[in-house]
Amino acid sequence: MKATRIWRYLSAGALAMTAFGVLQPALAADGKALLEAKCKVCHLPDDNGVQRRIGYQRKTPEGWLMTIARMQIMHGLEISDDDRRTLVKYLADTQGLAPAEAEGLRYAMERRLNTIEEFDTQSKEMCGRCHSPSRFALQRRTAKEWEHLVHFHLGQWPSLEYQAMSRDRDWLELALKEMVPTLAERYGLDDPAWSKWQQERPAPTALVGRWSFSGHMPTRGDLHGVMSVEGGEGDNFRISLDGRYADGKPFKGKGSAILFTGHEWRANVEIDGVAMRQVFSVVNGEMKGRMFETEHDERGLDFVAAKSDQARLLAVQPEFLKAGEEAELTLVGSGLSGKPDFGPGVQLVKVLEQSPERLVVKVRAAADAAPGSREVKLGKLSGPSLAVYKRIDEVKVVPGYAIARIGDNGGATPKVQGRFEAEGWATDAAGKAYRVGILPASWSVEPFNERAAEDEDVKFAGVMQKDGVFLPGDAGPNPARRMSTNNAGNLKVIAEVEDGGQTLKGEGQLIVTVQRWNNPPLP
Amino acid sequence: MNNKNRFALVSTLALLAALQAHADTSGKALVKGHEYMAVTNTPNNLHLIDLKTESVYKTCEMPDRFGPGTLFISPDKTRAYVLNNNYRDIYGVELDTCKQVFHARLAQKAGEDARSMFSFTVSADGKELYAVANPMQRAIDHYVVGEPRMQVYSTDAGLDAKLLRSFPVPRQSYVMQAADDGSLYLAGPDIYKIDPKTGERTVALASRNWQRPGYSAPDVLYFWPHQQPNRDFTLLYTAARFADEKQDPETAEYLYGYMNINLKTGKTEVRDFAPLTELYFTGLRSPKDPNLMYGVLNRLTKYDIAKQQLIKAQELDHSYYCIAFNHAGDKVYLAGTFNDIGIHDAESLEKIGSIKLPGGDMAVSTTQVFIR
Ligand code: HEC
Ligand code: HEC
Repeated sequence: MKATRIWRYLSAGALAMTAFGVLQPALAADGKALLEAKCKVCHLPDDNGVQRRIGYQRKTPEGWLMTIARMQIMHGLEISDDDRRTLVKYLADTQGLAPAEAEGLRYAMERRLNTIEEFDTQSKEMCGRCHSPSRFALQRRTAKEWEHLVHFHLGQWPSLEYQAMSRDRDWLELALKEMVPTLAERYGLDDPAWSKWQQERPAPTALVGRWSFSGHMPTRGDLHGVMSVEGGEGDNFRISLDGRYADGKPFKGKGSAILFTGHEWRANVEIDGVAMRQVFSVVNGEMKGRMFETEHDERGLDFVAAKSDQARLLAVQPEFLKAGEEAELTLVGSGLSGKPDFGPGVQLVKVLEQSPERLVVKVRAAADAAPGSREVKLGKLSGPSLAVYKRIDEVKVVPGYAIARIGDNGGATPKVQGRFEAEGWATDAAGKAYRVGILPASWSVEPFNERAAEDEDVKFAGVMQKDGVFLPGDAGPNPARRMSTNNAGNLKVIAEVEDGGQTLKGEGQLIVTVQRWNNPPLP
Repeated sequence: MNNKNRFALVSTLALLAALQAHADTSGKALVKGHEYMAVTNTPNNLHLIDLKTESVYKTCEMPDRFGPGTLFISPDKTRAYVLNNNYRDIYGVELDTCKQVFHARLAQKAGEDARSMFSFTVSADGKELYAVANPMQRAIDHYVVGEPRMQVYSTDAGLDAKLLRSFPVPRQSYVMQAADDGSLYLAGPDIYKIDPKTGERTVALASRNWQRPGYSAPDVLYFWPHQQPNRDFTLLYTAARFADEKQDPETAEYLYGYMNINLKTGKTEVRDFAPLTELYFTGLRSPKDPNLMYGVLNRLTKYDIAKQQLIKAQELDHSYYCIAFNHAGDKVYLAGTFNDIGIHDAESLEKIGSIKLPGGDMAVSTTQVFIR
C-alpha cells in the first residue's frame, strides 16, 4: 500500500468512528488479544514478558496509528480497519501520554500547521528538518528505543546522511551520542505524570452532560453554544452541538466521539452539512482544542467548553471595547449568575439576556477609561480579559507566516487556503503593548521580494479575498510562467485597519507551495 | 520543488512513448574510433548515442529495477558498469552485445540490505571494481545500521561476483574514481586517497575539514562522477567567504568553486570560480580551455575561472542535471531529468539540437563520453 493513499484515508477521521453504535465498543481484552495475534509474529516477549519494542514506548493515538500503519506499509502486517482501531485504542489507553506530557505540543494533533515551533537548534536540524519535532516530543521511550529509532531512520533512508543539514556533520554519531541521550532524558518512558494520570483519570461517564462552549473561527468570528454529550460506554459518545456565530448564523450538528487515554477526545461531527473533526483534551470538566473540517484542516476553530456542573467563565465576546463607546458583550461559560464587573471606567448599562451559559450585557466605556487589558469578574468567576483601548497602535497579521498549497485542477489533492486575521495592539499607561483583538481589515497581497516580483507571483499564486482568505492557484505546470513552473509564490500579506481616522498596516508572509504529497496524522 | 510536477507529467508521457515498439539494437557492435555517449534511463535502459550523428545508436535493456543508473565505462571501452536496482547492485554490460557479464549484489549476508550512494568505480587497468556499501541489518523487530565498507571485486568475477577483499571506509562516502597509479580517490567528509590493496587512507583534499582562512566549510552535493578524457575528477562546492572574524553569514560572500584531482598526475586543486547566484547540479571545465567552467541546472552558464566572471548564460526549456562535452570541446550535452538530451554550442551556448531517448526519465544518471 502506498503511503500517500493510506494517509489520505486514515487522516480523514480514522481515529473516531463515522457512525455511533455501528461498531461494538472496543474492549481492553480484545486489544490485548489482538496485540498477541497480530504483532507477536515479529514482536516476541522479552525476559520481562514485555512485547519487544511495543512495550517500551508511549504515544498519542495519532502516534500509535502511524506506527501500526507503518507496520502495514513497510512490514506487510495485515490487519482490518476495525482491528487497527481497537489496537490504537488499547495502546493509547495503556501506553499513552498524560495531559501534562502533551502540553504545549497539542498544536500537532490539532493540525495547526502554521505553528512556529520552539525547539533547540540541534533537534531542529538533526530531526526537525523532515517532520515536526512534535513527532518525537509527543512520544516517550527508553534510551534503547530512541536508539532503535535512529537506526530505523538511517537504515530505511540511507540518503538521509547525505542531505543538507546532515552532510555537514557526522549525523549518525551525533544522533546516537547526543540526540539519543537528550531524547531519553527529555522524553523517557517513565514519568510521574503518567503514573499520576493513570490513578486520577475519571470514568468516561463523568463526561456525559451539557457543555457550554465558546469558539473563534479565523476569518469568520466568534461563536458559542451548547454541546450535549451522551453515552460513555466503552469510551464512546454521541454528541450534538447547538450554537451560533456572533452574527446570529447557526452552528449546529451531530456526531460521535471516542475518548482515548482518559482525556484525548476525538470526534467526527457534521456541522451544517460539513464534516468536521474535534481534537480536544478533556481535563477537570474543561474541554479544549480545535475543530476543523475533515477535508480542509486549515479551516477550523479554537474551541473551549465547560461542563454544566462546573461554574466557569470561558470567554467575553468580543474581547475589546473602545474608550468612550457603548457596546454589547457576551459572556460565555457555565453556571453563570450575578452581574459582571469590568473594572473602573466600564459601566454596566443593562443586562440583555441571562442564562447559566450566557450573559449578554450592554456596557459603556468612559472616554477616560484606562487603556489596558483587564480581567472580567462574575461573582467568584474570572479568567477572560477585556481589552479597553483608545487607539490602535499596531496591527499584526496572524498567522505572521503561513503556508498555502496549490491543488485541485484534476488532481486528488485539494488546495490548502491561507486564512488571515488582523490583530490590533495598543499601548497602556505604563507604555506596555497589549493585545486588543481581531479587527475588521481590508486585505491584499504583494510580492515578498524582488524574485517574487520578477516571477509575477501575485498574478499566478492565487487570489486574496475580501475576508482574508487566500485561494491558491491550480496545481500543475503553468505554461504562462517562466519555465512552465507551477503556481508557487512568495507573498507579503497586507492588512489595513481603519481606526479613528488613521489607517494602520500589518504585514505577514505567505508561501504558496506545492501539495503535501504525504499528509500523515502528525506533521 | 517547483519542477516536481513537471517531472511527473513529462515522465508519464515519456513512458507512453517508450511503449511504442522500437527495433532491437542490442546486437549492434560499437565502431572502433567512433565517439559515443552512454546514459541510462527508466524503465531500465542503457543507451549508446553516436555523437557523430547525434542519435541513439543502440539500447541495452538492463535487469532489475532502475536507479540511480550511475555508470562507468571500462578503460578498454568495451563495458559499462551500472549501479542500479535501487542502489543495491552493480551490473557489467558488454557494449557490443548488450550481454550482462558482471553482477555484484552489495549485500553480503542474509538479512542485510546494502546500498551504495553513487560510490563505485573501476580501476585504471580495468581489472578491479570498487564499491562502497552502506549496510543495514534487518532483525525481526529492529534495524541495525552497520559500518560502511569498501568492497573490491575482480571485473571477471562473473554474474555472481564474490568479494576479493573489503575494508572499512568513512560514513557519508559518495563518488569515487581510480587513478593511474592504482590508488583510489573517494569523496566523503573529505576526499581520501586510498590504497585499494591495503585500505590505507590519507586525506587528498580536505573538504568538511578544510582550513581556508575566512571561509566556511564547503557544501558538496555531487553525484556525477564524469570520466573526463584529461583524467580530471571534478566536484563542485559552494562556500561562504566571510567579511571578517565575526563570520557573520549576513555579510558573507557566497561562492562556487571546484575541487579537482588529476587521476594521471595526482595533482589536486581547489578553486573558487564564481559568486553563488544560482544553483548548478553539475559543472565541468572545457576540454578546449581549462579556464572555462560550464555549469547547468536551470540555465546553462559559462564562467571565466581566473576572472571569476560569468561570460554567458543560456535559458533552458527545462532543468537539466548533467553536463558533458564531446572530445573536441565544441559541443555541450545536457542530460538528466526527462528523456531528451539538449545539444548546445559550446561557444554561443545556444541550443542546436536535441536527442530524444526511448524510455523515460534519466533522473540523476551520469552521461559518459568515450571513444571506442
Ligand atoms: C512482519 C513483521 C512485523 C509485524 C507483524 C509487526 N511489526 Fe512492528 N516492527 C517490525 C520491524 C521490522 C520493526 C523495526 C523497523 C521499524 O521501526 O519500522 C518494527 C518496529 C515496531 C515498533 C517500533 C517503531 C519505532 O518507531 O521505533 C513498534 C512500536 C511496532 N513495531 C509495533 C507493532 C505493532 C503494534 C504491531 C501489530 C499491530 C506490529 N508492530 C507488527 C516488524 C513487524
Ligand atoms: C530524512 C528525513 C528525516 C529525518 C532527518 C528524521 N526523520 Fe523521523 N521520520 C521520517 C519519516 C519519513 C517518518 C515516517 C515513517 C512512517 O512512514 O511512519 C519518520 C518517523 C518518525 C517518528 C515516528 C515513528 C513511530 O512509529 O513512532 C519519530 C518519533 C521520529 N521520526 C523521530 C525522529 C528523530 C528523533 C529524528 C532525529 C534523530 C528524526 N526523526 C529524523 C523522516 C525523518
